[in-house]
Amino acid sequence: MIQSVRRAAAILRELGSGQRRLGVTELSERLGLAKATVYGLLRALEADELVQRDAETGKYRLGPILLQLGNAFLDSHELRARSLLWADSLADRTEQAVRVGVPMGSNVLIVHHVFRPDASVQILEVGAAIPWHACALGKATAAFQDDGELEQMLGGPLPRLTGRTIVEPPELKEALKRIRHEGVAVEDQEAIIGEAEIAAPVFDHLGDAVGAVGAVGVVGPVERLLVDGLARPELAAAVREVARGLSRDMAGGRVYARGR
Amino acid sequence: MRTEGLGPRFVRRWIGATAEGVRDQRDFLTQLDAAIGDADHGVNMDRGFTAAVAKLEETPEGMPGELLETVGSTLVLSVGGAAGPLYGSALRQMGRAFGDVEIFNEEALLAGLREALEEIHRLGAATVGDKTIVDAFSPAIDAFARGLRSGEARESAGARARTAAEEGMRSTLPMQARKGRASYLGARSVGHQDPGATSTAILFAALERAISHGELG
Repeated sequence: MIQSVRRAAAILRELGSGQRRLGVTELSERLGLAKATVYGLLRALEADELVQRDAETGKYRLGPILLQLGNAFLDSHELRARSLLWADSLADRTEQAVRVGVPMGSNVLIVHHVFRPDASVQILEVGAAIPWHACALGKATAAFQDDGELEQMLGGPLPRLTGRTIVEPPELKEALKRIRHEGVAVEDQEAIIGEAEIAAPVFDHLGDAVGAVGAVGVVGPVERLLVDGLARPELAAAVREVARGLSRDMAGGRVYARGR
Repeated sequence: MRTEGLGPRFVRRWIGATAEGVRDQRDFLTQLDAAIGDADHGVNMDRGFTAAVAKLEETPEGMPGELLETVGSTLVLSVGGAAGPLYGSALRQMGRAFGDVEIFNEEALLAGLREALEEIHRLGAATVGDKTIVDAFSPAIDAFARGLRSGEARESAGARARTAAEEGMRSTLPMQARKGRASYLGARSVGHQDPGATSTAILFAALERAISHGELG
């Protein structure tokens, strides 16, 4: 039983990566499973609308119910829920895009994204997974992880996304030390050329002893965010302030839930 | 086979033809970018190359190297996103490689293009297969070099470069991006041709046109 759940999950992951329409044969080859097994799993997934079969080609793709599940995940996410108003006000005040992220293995998962309040076309990044070492959200979070957790993150994959991505663990450790000291993390074109991010960690009622639950920050064109590689002071101050307010909300919420 | 060298007028023809190509394909570039980027590549590149052409028109004098540096700086300032810094720095670097010579040959052009690619690599750390500009730029330079090595006229070496850039551009279609915003939007990039590789193909189509022109310099 449990094996079939794992296999069904593998099918969903396969349909969610790369080629998005796959036939039974392709899936069975990719997963190393018998065609009959894959077919049975697909039928069950289709019955629950987790996958859809294209009538013309007979190929399978992800089902629309996954969007509902994804939204349900976001709705139930406490940091996201509490960050909505804070993120709006930060975007208004700084005139920059705002992102909220939480650690997910060697990545940061973007759980909220407010567009830069101008007329430009932007793409929604909610759901994106960014390598932690290449963004300020990730570095802000990592700076407050315990040593064991941090060693694991430093030992994991550290892909070079641009010529400026810091990929050497000693250099990253040095950067994290500075972030702990300053309370704000800066990323200078380490994920995308021409873009920068300034972020600060968010804590819940357990405080910084157990690490940050996530981070909030502004992201945008490097020339608007940084001066000589350093955060514009007014932006850093606004980010820090919002992270502090959000942390207060996160801590308060938990205490309240315990029945205060 | 012609023997006259390339000069300032070649640079003007090249940048002018690139500006035309970008304008013709502006909406297509933007459409490609909408799938995986910020949906501004066409608009950005059009603005940048139009500004570069205007700047060149204001600069009646100048050695090829200076002109390319001017173009590069204009692109850095006027093109948003990653494209401005990438194309701008690359052309600036190429201009520096030309130094202050007035007339240069195709070997020097090749060396300049190599410097440009080197700069793109330094900034973006991308290699062939990452679904970037490099997927068109790198094979185009190799093809140009092969053409020259086998003793072809620069026109046919230029045609080879253009063809290789276009093949490289098409090769990005099934790739999953490993650089840029598209890389962390994950699977969304598969099945979309890379906008950067597409604009690089325009750059090399313009190079072929500029190189094959009958006019001296």
